[in-house]
Amino acid sequence: MSILRLENVSYKYEDDKKYVLKDINYDFEKGRTYAIKGKSGSGKTTLLSLLSGLEKCSEGKILYNNQDLNKFDLDKYRNTNIGIIFQSFNLLTSLTAIENVILSMDINHQKEKNKREKAIELLKSVGLTEKQGDRRILKLSGGEQQRVAIARSLSYNPDIILADEPTGNLDFETENEIMAIFDTLAHKQNKCVIIVTHSANVAKKADVVYELKKTSQN
Amino acid sequence: MYILKNAFRSINRSKGRNILIGIIITVIACSATIGLSIMNAASKVIESSKSKYDITATIGIDRDKMMKNVDSSSESKENMKERFNSMASISVSDIESYGDSKYVSSYYYTYSVGLNSDTIDAAETQSKGPGGNPHGQSSTSFTLTGYSSYEAMEEFITGAYTITEGEISSNFSDNSCIINSELATLNNLTVGDTIVLTNPNDTSKTYELIISGIYSDNDTDTMNMFTNSVNTIITNSNFVEQIVSDDATLNAKITPTFILTSEDVVDSFEQELYDKGLDETYSVNTNLDQLSSETESIQNLATFAFTTLIIILVIGGIILFIINLINVRERKYEIGVLRTIGMKKTSVISQFVSELLIVSVISLILGGFIGSMLSVPTANKLLEQEIQSSEQAQANINEHFGRSMNGADENSKQEKPSNMPTKGVSKIEKVTSIDAAIDIKVLSELIGIGILLTLVSSLAACISISRFSPLTILKERS
Repeated sequence: MSILRLENVSYKYEDDKKYVLKDINYDFEKGRTYAIKGKSGSGKTTLLSLLSGLEKCSEGKILYNNQDLNKFDLDKYRNTNIGIIFQSFNLLTSLTAIENVILSMDINHQKEKNKREKAIELLKSVGLTEKQGDRRILKLSGGEQQRVAIARSLSYNPDIILADEPTGNLDFETENEIMAIFDTLAHKQNKCVIIVTHSANVAKKADVVYELKKTSQN
Repeated sequence: MYILKNAFRSINRSKGRNILIGIIITVIACSATIGLSIMNAASKVIESSKSKYDITATIGIDRDKMMKNVDSSSESKENMKERFNSMASISVSDIESYGDSKYVSSYYYTYSVGLNSDTIDAAETQSKGPGGNPHGQSSTSFTLTGYSSYEAMEEFITGAYTITEGEISSNFSDNSCIINSELATLNNLTVGDTIVLTNPNDTSKTYELIISGIYSDNDTDTMNMFTNSVNTIITNSNFVEQIVSDDATLNAKITPTFILTSEDVVDSFEQELYDKGLDETYSVNTNLDQLSSETESIQNLATFAFTTLIIILVIGGIILFIINLINVRERKYEIGVLRTIGMKKTSVISQFVSELLIVSVISLILGGFIGSMLSVPTANKLLEQEIQSSEQAQANINEHFGRSMNGADENSKQEKPSNMPTKGVSKIEKVTSIDAAIDIKVLSELIGIGILLTLVSSLAACISISRFSPLTILKERS
């Protein structure tokens, strides 16, 4: 059963006649990893924005658990149902790794008594130590920052993990480590992992690959 | 709760920016406290001044109106003079009728008549009595002034006259009197002696008065050997009324004073007097100008404080608005991240407003404290300058009247800057210091200003945050 379904989803910018995405029909299920491939300008990031509720589709609909996403409180959707991971990590650099994870829990209004303990546990699950967790973000390497971003996205235990070029800034070895984490999340924690990528290596490791092509339709 | 926690953390992170905002708000709060304290104290002083002095109305001949009538009329000057002399003067019954008004809380009057005496000598000076002899009577040596009540005895109330021997009779219908100490010395009179005054029109008519007290005139500002009041004998108005009723041709002058219920009823009272038959050539004069002259310096100070306060608030508000705008632009990335991970716009705005509010509250307390320390000396310094300026203006007026040439020394001018011959002005003390203390009113106004400033400057953050698209921010960053 699909957790996320795209039905004839099309998207175009308000001031543009040309569609960025046209009639997209994808199904995403829990327990699987998905790679969305495509060349630059094919609409990969736009699709991710639609899936994360940062943008609304121009036509068609996106269903989360068979419910139209447009009827959701999208802020709540983003801090409850999906975890977003970016290529540039998008962590608050003035905070430590642990504080970044705790902030996400706060936004999710978690009543956890010991949020710090939970944050450390999450960081450990993605391969970071407590000591690293107490460091400011800029004191961490790119791979470590991406692990923090993953830990942050897991802080409220979402069903779906959306990752936009998560290994784009990382070396091959680190890329493999991060992909291993995604694999674990999907197959052992039953999450739906959707990765937008142009890396063949990443796509190869996904259970399902969707390829976006540039649309020429007006 | 986490919003507040984040706000504190963010303040701690951006110390430089928040210290700058804090300094600006402290300066604004300090200036606002000084301004508000001065305005508040000034308003209290003005209110207190209004309650301290009664609003009084007197009736006098409007000479300007009379002269205009003469100029526009074809009547000969002789006829006009005759008409002026025969103009009906105000009677005691008129005063009683005028005083019977809802606008009047009480009234009193003085009744003066010019008389002579064969038993005592008058000092050789011009009497302050009714003046002249408009009815063509013989000139008089003494002025017998009768007061209707203690209230009417302004000179004793203000301290211009003081009893040195005996007392003023409490019986306002007997034939007791008090005389000037100089007149007593001149005629070797003492308390208990009897003096006899004569009618200037009919010397067979005499009036006996028993001296119950002797008073001294403290007005030393005179060119004469004797004080102006030396030939003034003071008694009660009933006694004078009896003399005048016995001989209507006597040159008598009645001066009523009505104490009004408030300054708002002045016009209504004036209209009522004319409706009751007061001649158009009389005008109703009040002491409102004199009262406002007392608080003029304070009023100017309050206006200055208000204007300065407004300027500081406007400039401070603009500076804070710009700083916040820059702050939001600098923190666009943070806003983008927070929005992307699901923080609501309202929560982001709340955090930014909380940060400013925390800094504002601390700065307001600091500024309010400094302002309260500075408000009293600042207010008094400003008032001192205002009074000096006012005194200089008064000194210039004195000079115009030739006071600097008539022997009054510089010291006396300094002590009595407003001692011009305008009746009443010198009786009202000018305010020379101000107690610009902080009270609940000032405190609440300060808090109001603080909240207003915070809201105005937060407006920049609110507008910017509500217009930012998180995706656009993060794309720009990438």
